Amino acid sequence: MDHRDRQSIEHQKKDPQQHPHPCFTNFTTHHQQQKWEDPSLLDYSTRIEPPFQGFNPNCQTKSSFPCNPNNQIKVPDPIMNELLQASKVQDWDPSAMLNNLSFLEQKIHQLQGLVHSIIGRGGRVLGQPDELVAQQQQLITAALTSIIVQLISTAGSLLPSVKHHTLCGPPPAASLPQFQAQNGGGNSVPELPNTVDVSSNSGEQQNHVMEEHEMKDEEDAEELGENLFPGTYEILQLEKEEILAPHTHFCTICGKGFKRDANLRMHMRGHGDEYKTPAALAKPNKESSSEPTLIKRYSCPFAGCKRNKDHKKFQPLKTILCVKNHYKRSHCDKSYICSRCHTKKFSVIADLKTHEKHCGKDKWLCSCGTTFSRKDKLFGHIALFQGHTPAIPLDETKGPTAPSDPGDGSEATNVVGSMNFFNFGSENGVDVKGSLDDPAAYFSPLNFETCNFGGFHEFPRPASDDSETSLAFLLSGACGYNNNNNDVERS
Amino acid sequence: MKKQKPDNLRGFNPFNQLPQEIIFTILDLLNSNPLDIKSFSLACKSFYAAESKHRTSLKPLRQEHLPSILSRYPNIGHLHLTRCSRVSDTCLSFVSHACASSLRSIDLSRTHLFSASGLLGLALNCNNLVEIDLSNATELKDSAMAAVSQAKNLEKLWLARCKSVTDLGVGCVAVGCRKLKSICLKWCLGVGDLGVGLLAVKCNHICYLDLSYLPITSKCLSPILKLQHLEELVLEGCFGIDDDSLAVLKHGCNSLKSLDVSSCQNISHNGLSSLVSGAVGLQQLTLAHGSRVTSSLADSLKKFSMLQSVKVDGCLISYDGLKTIGNWCASLRELSLSKCSGVTDEGLSSIVTKHKDLRKLDITCCRKITDVSISCITNSCNSLTSLRMESCTLVSREAFVLIGQRCRLLEELDLTDNEIDDKGLKYISRCSQLSNLKLGICLNITDEGLIHIGRGCSKLLELDLYRSVEITDSGIIAIAQGCPGLEMINIAYCKDITDHSLLSLSKCSRLKTLESRGCSLITSLGLTAVAVGCKELTKLDVKKCPNIDDAGMLPLAHFSQNLRQINLSHSSVTDIGLLSLAGISCLQNITILHLKSLTPTGLAAVLLACGGLTKVKLQAEFKWLLPHRLIEHLEARGCTFQWRDKVLQVELDPKCWKLRLEDLMP
Repeated sequence: MDHRDRQSIEHQKKDPQQHPHPCFTNFTTHHQQQKWEDPSLLDYSTRIEPPFQGFNPNCQTKSSFPCNPNNQIKVPDPIMNELLQASKVQDWDPSAMLNNLSFLEQKIHQLQGLVHSIIGRGGRVLGQPDELVAQQQQLITAALTSIIVQLISTAGSLLPSVKHHTLCGPPPAASLPQFQAQNGGGNSVPELPNTVDVSSNSGEQQNHVMEEHEMKDEEDAEELGENLFPGTYEILQLEKEEILAPHTHFCTICGKGFKRDANLRMHMRGHGDEYKTPAALAKPNKESSSEPTLIKRYSCPFAGCKRNKDHKKFQPLKTILCVKNHYKRSHCDKSYICSRCHTKKFSVIADLKTHEKHCGKDKWLCSCGTTFSRKDKLFGHIALFQGHTPAIPLDETKGPTAPSDPGDGSEATNVVGSMNFFNFGSENGVDVKGSLDDPAAYFSPLNFETCNFGGFHEFPRPASDDSETSLAFLLSGACGYNNNNNDVERS
Repeated sequence: MKKQKPDNLRGFNPFNQLPQEIIFTILDLLNSNPLDIKSFSLACKSFYAAESKHRTSLKPLRQEHLPSILSRYPNIGHLHLTRCSRVSDTCLSFVSHACASSLRSIDLSRTHLFSASGLLGLALNCNNLVEIDLSNATELKDSAMAAVSQAKNLEKLWLARCKSVTDLGVGCVAVGCRKLKSICLKWCLGVGDLGVGLLAVKCNHICYLDLSYLPITSKCLSPILKLQHLEELVLEGCFGIDDDSLAVLKHGCNSLKSLDVSSCQNISHNGLSSLVSGAVGLQQLTLAHGSRVTSSLADSLKKFSMLQSVKVDGCLISYDGLKTIGNWCASLRELSLSKCSGVTDEGLSSIVTKHKDLRKLDITCCRKITDVSISCITNSCNSLTSLRMESCTLVSREAFVLIGQRCRLLEELDLTDNEIDDKGLKYISRCSQLSNLKLGICLNITDEGLIHIGRGCSKLLELDLYRSVEITDSGIIAIAQGCPGLEMINIAYCKDITDHSLLSLSKCSRLKTLESRGCSLITSLGLTAVAVGCKELTKLDVKKCPNIDDAGMLPLAHFSQNLRQINLSHSSVTDIGLLSLAGISCLQNITILHLKSLTPTGLAAVLLACGGLTKVKLQAEFKWLLPHRLIEHLEARGCTFQWRDKVLQVELDPKCWKLRLEDLMP
């Protein structure tokens, strides 16, 4: 098989996570949602994907409905992009909010119309089979869910009441698994031809779980010394929507959201003199702090996570901030890509900023792709892991080719070049944290040694002078090697 | 019947009946002389084929010939490319394909031009490759090490003077070559604690580790001393290691047998004792050019009962120190005190009377010792095989009689610059095992003594008579007749020697090195005789022999096909004689200073014709007289030039020369 073939297959495999699957394209609501969602919501969306897949054919059958959402919800793409921008920036942007609002309004309106039409038709189509009724219900629930999701993602900057709403009402997260089960159980839905997608999803799930053990969060370090006995503290568990909401403190008057309560209180002063009193400005908890309160610890809502209260070796998180960072780092996509190296990804923007400060200065590179600012750190890393080697900088390997030996000069460069490419390629494969999009590779940190020259022999490739393109080739090519090998290792 | 018999006989080859094993055994025994093997293989087709199969080791002269050689010899396991000054990547890739499975070791030290890609081919194709020598490949970078690291079965790696290699390269090797047993990183100045430390962490089988002159500190020593199989550790000239950092080390290495901490000025007895703590099996210790050898240092080594060899060359040594060494529980086999200041008769005597099993003793330049020491040494150490006592000038001529009387097992004896006379030589000729005798600058010896040596020491291989001016032809003739196995002889500045000596030396067919500088009486006739008789001659020095001319060069070029190095300075050789030397394909090293009739055009022709030249010493004026392009071309071919601009010096009278030498001494 040619190298490029592999590459393209690899792309196909990865695609579903990054772009909407071709199957989704006519189900516009979903399509939009995919595009719209806040980066931090990606994880959430990937998990609600399966129900929608199941749902898809239904929509197609229903397309004859006069008020099908598909036809009316269409929002021009530029607006969507704007929304996307707005939610990414996570700052107060009135125009974006207005767009959001109007969009939601529109959507609710459409749903209303749909329900109306069902009710209106209810009498006439009494004789309809139960199946169809169930499908209608599902459709409505799906639409509702999507609305809720969108609501939440902008909740902080929109309405404070949304928060109450999500808390009081059945949390969508809880409803989703049921939903999924329903779908799975009712086998009326034909299987979709996107098994690849499903498998990659499950891979990702596993990936999260595995990563959990490897992650060395700051919370970990904090709590190493803490020996709290179970029961001596109160466990709180926030839902993921709450965790992922950009703001947690909302002004009850104007609805503006804040990350910190103190900032909200400062903001409140602008709404009137009654908020300027020392009592109003003081920390609300201060008064009650004299009473003996149970220590508060937090649980991660992700089932199976070590930080989840149901886990055998449950390790609670100390603060809400810890919960947020933990959840984003461990269970969310890393959607912040470093603007300098274009390879490092982060789910917490602060991590990205920290990285960007040092990016480019990290000249010590391991074959696994991890970079280090200090040579001794690189060597410590290599000493610790089997099969990792120091990567030789590209410029050096390109240099030494026999100048007075033109006969084999080109051949020589090729060989060295590919060898080096391999080195760089493998970095993707073995990378522990950066390989969300290549779950298979995650399981084979050791395949570096076994895969390397098998792959290298099979796919000799002329080195191109353009280092950028060759690197690009590598990144995808390496995944090919790794997947290949992974199969071997698993069997 | 009768008619058929001759037919049968004609087709019958008795050697065809011999099983291959027997032929191989015969070839094994022939191995000492390459010419014998050559004549064997040229005897008949079957012998040729047998020899092709038998040969496992090759040392080619030119890389161009490798393809044809390798197709002739299919079972090459050891390839020495040291004589090819340039080995290209193409060549290496050819080697890697031709000896894919058979190649076990390759020596690329002293060769250049190849790069990482050539090495990568070797590493990938030759699965059985266990030894690589890349010494002196100063231009190799980390990428080459990454290529080497693909040789998964590598056990021995020599990287001496690979100055461009850094920690990263060594790190690659450490990760890739997990079976590494011996590694030499001498003078790899780019390698520090991190690379060495990683090597020790990853390669658990290392038993030989040479870290000489590396900028390492004791940070990397901790993992090194944890190596389970480490037997030899060389830390020569590691200035970064000092007592304070060694004190932190918690454990020594149990398996250590040999430790070299020479030129480590910052390690005193405290550091040394923590370095060798636990090494109960320590056998060899080298402390040359280090800190003072005091009684406390000697004391710290007291308990090592397995200790066999101690070298403290060039150290300041105290009497107490010597005395304490004498009280060690171990019985030393080898002791080297060369150039130690502070060695006295008293101290040396206290050592040798205790260590009676000494086999090798080096007291070079211990200028304070006298007959007393020699008497003690010869009295107690009867089993000495090697005694080196150059420039022990206070030892009187009578003392050498004792050596001959008592140390009959001597194989190596260095008496350079001593007072020995013919009587001493007469007794020394009793050492029938003597193979290496150095009598340079012994002004008291004459032919009479040398005749004794010729009669008694038939196993002599090397004889040095440099500036022993009383020696004449009769002495040399006696040596040539009595020592047929002679391989090296130096008769430089023995001004009375004539062609007769050379004629007799031509009977020594194993002669490899002949140095006859300043023997103004020898002519081309004598040289011709040597050329015809000594087919294995590889080094010839006829500097300042004005009677050597083109007539000597022609037979040399014809018969001495193994000649690699020649010095023709101050001789009467002209362009024509030099040009005839082009017929010697081995010729690599040529020194031609002060040749009166040498012309630039002639020289250019010579240099072009001698394709294998790697080193040429020339008068500096030729640098401007030779076309620049020619010099560039030759340099690209692998030839290096050394330009000399020395004024001709008048030869001094030998006595006068020695007096001047003594004036120069401190």
